[in-house]
Amino acid sequence: EMARDPQFVMRYMEELEQLAEDVLSDKQQIVDLDKKRNSNREALAALHKKTTAPASSQNKTWLNFGGVFLKLPKKSAITMLQSDQAELDKEISQIRDNLHNKVNKLRDAQGESDLLGYGLHPLSKAELNRVMH
Amino acid sequence: MAAANTLNKVQEVREVTRLERIGAHSHVRGLGLNDDLEPRQVSQGMVGQLAARRAAGVILEMIKEGKIAGRALLIAGQPGTGKTAIAMGMAQAMSKDAPFQAMAGSEIFSLEMSKTEALTQAFRKSIGVRIKEETELIEGEVVEVSVERPATGTGAKVGKLTLKTTDMETVFDLGQKMIEQITKEKIQAGDIITIDKSSGKVSKLGRSFTRARDYDATDSQTRFVQCPEGELQKRKEVVHTVTIHEIDVINSRTQGFLALFSGDTGEIKSEVREQINSKVAEWREEGKAEIIPGVLFIDEVHMLDIECFSFLNRLLESDMAPVLIMATNRGITRIRGTNYKSPHGIPIDLLDRLLIIATSPYSEKETKQILEIRCEEEDVEMEEQALTVLTRIGLETSLRYAIQLITAASLVCRKRKGTEVSVEDIKKVYSLFIDESRSTTFLKEYQEEFMFNELTGAGDATTMEVS
Repeated sequence: EMARDPQFVMRYMEELEQLAEDVLSDKQQIVDLDKKRNSNREALAALHKKTTAPASSQNKTWLNFGGVFLKLPKKSAITMLQSDQAELDKEISQIRDNLHNKVNKLRDAQGESDLLGYGLHPLSKAELNRVMH
Repeated sequence: MAAANTLNKVQEVREVTRLERIGAHSHVRGLGLNDDLEPRQVSQGMVGQLAARRAAGVILEMIKEGKIAGRALLIAGQPGTGKTAIAMGMAQAMSKDAPFQAMAGSEIFSLEMSKTEALTQAFRKSIGVRIKEETELIEGEVVEVSVERPATGTGAKVGKLTLKTTDMETVFDLGQKMIEQITKEKIQAGDIITIDKSSGKVSKLGRSFTRARDYDATDSQTRFVQCPEGELQKRKEVVHTVTIHEIDVINSRTQGFLALFSGDTGEIKSEVREQINSKVAEWREEGKAEIIPGVLFIDEVHMLDIECFSFLNRLLESDMAPVLIMATNRGITRIRGTNYKSPHGIPIDLLDRLLIIATSPYSEKETKQILEIRCEEEDVEMEEQALTVLTRIGLETSLRYAIQLITAASLVCRKRKGTEVSVEDIKKVYSLFIDESRSTTFLKEYQEEFMFNELTGAGDATTMEVS
């Protein structure tokens, strides 16, 4: 009976779309953050490389901050990038952890059961060795 | 990755052995009940036995609510009335990865292992532990890979690897070790690869579909895969289900992994088991493991003796106990190892803990339906008339015998290059393989000509009962 009520169906579809949208936008955010993480990594690799530039300009470097070029001491450029990386790692991992709940909510709304073992905390490598192979 | 591969292999091997042991019930997918626990006449591979199936469904609900701790189930009924099928159906309905361990009561009598050890192992084979493995890996399609030797000719090589997904692209500087691996694995542009973040191990998954026309780089074994989507650095989560017994074996020997295959596990020290119990309990507290009680099915349970029964009583009290399902086709009979008689040959104190379900012989219609399902399961096409004849055979001899004739008849049919099993094929195998009652008639008639026929009728009966 409830399923035949168009209002009810609309509300249900709306809710479903919202949950799915939530999952998709999180996935997109992970991609965006990973892009940033990888370009940071490329920058760090470049900074660690020996250059042929004259010794006087060895200590400073140009860094592109969202369209603005800044000349910075190499050391502080590296620390900035490294702390940015740590922040990115944390953020990505947080989104992934929350995604578990969101995916299960979506599955629940679609009448599917939770994924088996999805909510478990992972075993460490050493712990795994006691259980398998 | 290598670890994951071996694991997959182990699972494959396990499933094959599982199929072999209960091949006669490979069509069972559940108990065939609706949401109100009402049995459907034919569903999920189950036919008839409505009352027994409904009872099994009620017990399943109790198990899910945790109300059956320390109890067990006994299925009593004549041979070939679906006792094993119901046990299988229960296991399937519990959880997709719940272990199902089937054994016959006589299996525990062995020279290599004490009875109690065999029972403990069977118990622990029916308790699953679900755990999660998590790895960070880089997964992408190789856009470009270059390795250069320094102009001087000596010194470290330098390399660059460009990887992409459908959403992004990035360049990696390669260190010495990475260069070695890339060379060894013959990684080139167009390959889809993964790099394990913690170990740095490189694996090739296949070649990108977009490169399918690069004929020079492919051979018959090349696998084509889609360019990965999303981020480059992914988190991969794999959920494994292992049995407590498997953990026991791995921890009780250095070469434990091999023992799993050879089956030569021997006895496992109780200290090892205690250690594992507490470790698993700890992981469970920390949310790192889930216990999945499976089903231990002991067929021909009247073959167990009094020591086994009292040991079973004790095992049932442990807090991780699986659901114990026993089956017997005996009425009031002697309890092995004693001179007392008891219903089903089971001591009264254990019997008191059991929920008992009875199965009854199948009707003609049901027998036909079961044979139909088995034909489908074994991919055998059969004429309607042949099926009717086979049903009659099933009713007059036994269902098991009729089921066995299916495979044999289909072989005969294939031999004459037919596509559908006909009445003639059934008749032929019926004359080739005799059933139990014809065998008995034959023996009665020609008894005199066999060896050791001087045993008296009474002596015969006692030997039967003891063995």
